[in-house]
Amino acid sequence: MQVLVREDASPLLSVRVVFMAGSALDPPGREGMAWVAAQMLAHGGTRRRSYKQILDFLFARGASVDVTVDKEMTCFRLGCHADHAEEMTELLAELLCDPGWREEDFLRLRDDAVHLLEAGLRGENDEELAREALYGLLFGQHPYGHPCPGRVSSLRRLDAGAAREFYTAEYGRGNVIAACGGARAESVAARLRQRLGGLPARTRSAGFVPAAPALPASRMIFVEKPASSVAVSLGFPLGVRRGHADYPALLVAASALGQHRMSSGRLYQSLRHHRGLNYGDYAYLEYFPAPMFTLEPEPNHARQRQIFELWVRPVAPEHAHFALRLALHEVEKLAAEGLREDEFEAARSFLLRHCVLLEEARSVQLGHEIDGLFYGTGLQSAYLKQHLPEITPDDVRRAARRHLQPGALAAAFAGPDMDSLRNAILGNKPSPVQYNSAKPDWLLREDAAAAARRIDVQAENTRVQPVEEMFE
Amino acid sequence: MAQPNAFPFGWHIHDFPNGLRLVAVPLPWRGTASVYIIVHAGSRNEVEPGRSGFAHFFEHMMFRGTPAWPPERYERELQRLGASSNAYTDDDRTVYHTTLAATDLDALIEMEADRFLRLEYSEEDFRTEALAVLGEYWKDSAEPLNRLHEVLRDTAFDIHPYKHTTMGFLRDIERMPEMYGYSLQFFSRYYRPENTTMLAAGDIEPEAVGALVEKHWGAWPRGAYRLEVPQEPPQQGLREARIEWESHTLPCVAVAQRAPAYDDSSTECAALDLISALCFSQGSDLYRRLVIEEQWAEDLWANAVDHLDPYLFTVVARVKQPGRTADVRRAIEDEMERLAAEPVPAERLEQVQSHLFYRFVLGLDRSDSVAARLAPFLALRRTPETVNRLFDTYWRAAPQDLLAAARRWFPREGRTVVTLEEKS
Repeated sequence: MQVLVREDASPLLSVRVVFMAGSALDPPGREGMAWVAAQMLAHGGTRRRSYKQILDFLFARGASVDVTVDKEMTCFRLGCHADHAEEMTELLAELLCDPGWREEDFLRLRDDAVHLLEAGLRGENDEELAREALYGLLFGQHPYGHPCPGRVSSLRRLDAGAAREFYTAEYGRGNVIAACGGARAESVAARLRQRLGGLPARTRSAGFVPAAPALPASRMIFVEKPASSVAVSLGFPLGVRRGHADYPALLVAASALGQHRMSSGRLYQSLRHHRGLNYGDYAYLEYFPAPMFTLEPEPNHARQRQIFELWVRPVAPEHAHFALRLALHEVEKLAAEGLREDEFEAARSFLLRHCVLLEEARSVQLGHEIDGLFYGTGLQSAYLKQHLPEITPDDVRRAARRHLQPGALAAAFAGPDMDSLRNAILGNKPSPVQYNSAKPDWLLREDAAAAARRIDVQAENTRVQPVEEMFE
Repeated sequence: MAQPNAFPFGWHIHDFPNGLRLVAVPLPWRGTASVYIIVHAGSRNEVEPGRSGFAHFFEHMMFRGTPAWPPERYERELQRLGASSNAYTDDDRTVYHTTLAATDLDALIEMEADRFLRLEYSEEDFRTEALAVLGEYWKDSAEPLNRLHEVLRDTAFDIHPYKHTTMGFLRDIERMPEMYGYSLQFFSRYYRPENTTMLAAGDIEPEAVGALVEKHWGAWPRGAYRLEVPQEPPQQGLREARIEWESHTLPCVAVAQRAPAYDDSSTECAALDLISALCFSQGSDLYRRLVIEEQWAEDLWANAVDHLDPYLFTVVARVKQPGRTADVRRAIEDEMERLAAEPVPAERLEQVQSHLFYRFVLGLDRSDSVAARLAPFLALRRTPETVNRLFDTYWRAAPQDLLAAARRWFPREGRTVVTLEEKS
C-alpha cells in the first residue's frame, strides 16, 4: 500500500483511494464484474449500514463518495468539510473494507449498468457511442475491447456473488494507493493506512495488459441509428505513453492539432472555424474520459495501452465523408510537414503553463500524483517542465512522422443512413461540400485536395451494425 | 447562533462612471486568477419573434475578432498564455471566462476589452458561425433530457422568452445565417458597460485590477436600449405533453410548477430550494422509495434554478421499470400535495440547511471554482453578498415557510407535466 499525504490549511478534505484493478480484469464472458463490484462498494451499503442510511449520512454533511472505474484503475473519491473529516474517513473505510453485498442493491446497480449501455450509450450519447465503437474495433477480444460497465448479455448473467468474487480477488492492500490532501490529511491517512491494511495482501501482477492487437488494414464500423447528424471517432494504436522518449514532442503535435475543447487546434480551425462543419474537433494521445462533459481530464484513468484518437463532433450526414477526409488530411499534413515555428512555440507554451492550472484543486492534484506513480513520470507538470523546454520543432516533426503515419486506421460512425456513407467511402466517391457564404481560394484549393483524398479500406473490413447489437 | 458565511472570502466592488462594475475577490490560492465577464443578457433578452437562440449565437460571434485582435491572434495569445478559456449562455446571462497565471492578468484584461469595445466581423464569418451553432444543436439533440426540457418550456410558457431553451428553436437556428444586421443591433443593445459585471478572482490585488479595468474599459460608452420582457400571465390549468423518442431510452417524467423570480428579501425562494433538496433529492424519502426500495426509477432530482423572472420548479425522474411512468408521476404529484398539506419535521429541515451549506462550501476549492459558483449570483444581483443573503434565508426558513410556499406554488392548475418515452 502506498499512502500520499498533502496536508494544508484548507477547510476541505480530499481523499482518493485507487485500486489497480479495472475492467481489463473482467474474465471473458463475465464483462462488468469490475464495474459492479466497485458500484457495490460505493453505492451498495455496508454490513452495518444500508445504502439509504449512507445517503442520509452524506446528505446532512453535503459530502460525497464517488467511484470511477476504468480499464486498469478503480478510484474512490471522498470530498468533505474538515468538520466531518474523521467520521467521513470512517465511512470510506467501512465502504471499502466491509461491504454489505445485499441482493437488492446488486440488482439495482446491475440494472443501472445495463441501462448505461442500452439507454446511455446506444440511445442518448452518439458521440460516446462512436468512441466506444472505435475502442471495440481497435481492441476486439483484448481486455480493453469492452466498455468499462461490461456488456449487456454478460451483465444480465452476473449475480451478486460475481461482484464479491471480483472484490475478493482484486481489492488487496498490495494494489492500492491512498492519497489524502487538505484538512487533517495526516490523521486521515494514518486511519486509512490502518483500516486498508486489514485488506488481504495482494500484489498487482505487473504488465498484465497485453499489447493492442495489430491493425494490418483499415477497419470501419458504421452504427446505424436514428439521428439528425453523424458522430465520428477515428484512431489507431499508439506505442507512446508518458515516459516514452517521444511523448513530450508528440504531445506538442497533438496539442497543436487539436487541444481538447480549445479553439486553437488545426482541426478546430479547419473544420469548425473556417468551414462551420460542426461544433469542434480534437486530438488525443491519452484516453480522455467523458470529453463532452468536461473541459479538464479527470485523473485516474491511466492506461498502459493508448490510442491516438481524433474526435470529430457530429456533422450533417451529407458532410460526414468530407469531414473524415479533411480530418485525415490535417493529420497527414502535420505528420509530413510538422509544425511551423510559431505553432510549435504556442503549443509548447500552452502545455507548460496550462498543466499548472489542471493541478490546482487538491483533489485533482492527488489524482494526478497517483497517475504519475502509474506511469513512473511523477506529477505531469514537473515532467513536462523537465522535458518540454528541451524539444525542438525537428523533434516534433520526427515524432509525428514516426507515430502519426500508420499504415491503417480505424473509424467509427454513428448516425442515420450508414449504408450510403459506407458505400461512398468504399467507392472513394466525390464528397463535394457547399457553403452558405463565399470562401477564399486557399480554402477551396484545400477542399479540392481533401475531397480527392483516397481512403483505402476493403469492404470486408467494414460493417454496418444496428445500434441494438452494440455492446450486447 | 449566527451561522458562518457560505461565501467565506472578502471582496471589493469598483463601480466605474460608465456603469461597468468590477467585483474583485482575492483568494488564498497562489499563482492563478480567473476572470468572468458577465453580460446581463441571455435568452431572456430574445423578446422578438424568430430571434430565439440569438444570445447564445452572439456568444459565438464574440470569438470572431477585432481589427487589432483577429481571431487567429486572439486564440494564439490565449494558447501562449496556457489559459483555460470558454463561454456559456444561460437564460439571464452570457459569461466569458478565463483562468490563467495571475501574472498574465494584465494582458488578458487588455485583450478582452478590445473585443467588447471593438468587435468586428464579416457577414461571411457570421454565416459560417451560424453553421457551427447548428452543429451544437445536433450534438445536443441526441440527448433526451435536452428534448424534455425543450418541450417543458414550450408547454409551460406562452409569451415569456423562457419558453425556449438557450439554444433556441431549431426553426430559428436554421434562419440565423440571414440575421447579420440583427446581430450588429444585438451587440449595440446589450454589450454595454452598465449591462456587464466583471469578476476577477484569485491571486490578485483589487486596486491594481481596478486601475487596469479603468484604463482599458473606461472608454466603453453606455447604451440606451431599454429591454421590455413580456410577463407571463398566471397558468390557468394543468398542461401536459408527451414526447416519443426514436432511439432506445428510459422513460422520463418532468413535473413542473410555476416558481417565483429570485428574491432574497423573503424566505419564499429559499423554501423552494429547501423543498427540492428535502423531498426530491438523494436525501429524500421519495428517492428511497422510488430508486432504492421499489426500484421503479433510476434517478430522481429537482431544481428550482434562480431566475430574474418567474420560472419553474421542476422535478424529473428517469423511470426504469417498464409501465411505471404513471406511478412515478403520481408519486411526485402526491409528494407535492403532501407538502402543501402538512409541515415537514424541523429536524429534517436542519439537515437540509446543513446540506446546502456544506455542498456550496465544498465547491470552493480553487480560483476557477469560486468564480464559477459566484457568477450566477452576480448575474442576479451584481454582488457576492447575494450568496450570503440567500443562505441567510435558508437558515431562517421554518417548516411553516415551506408549507406556505408549497401551498402557493404547487397548485394543480399551475402544473405542467411532460413525459418522454421510446417510440413503440
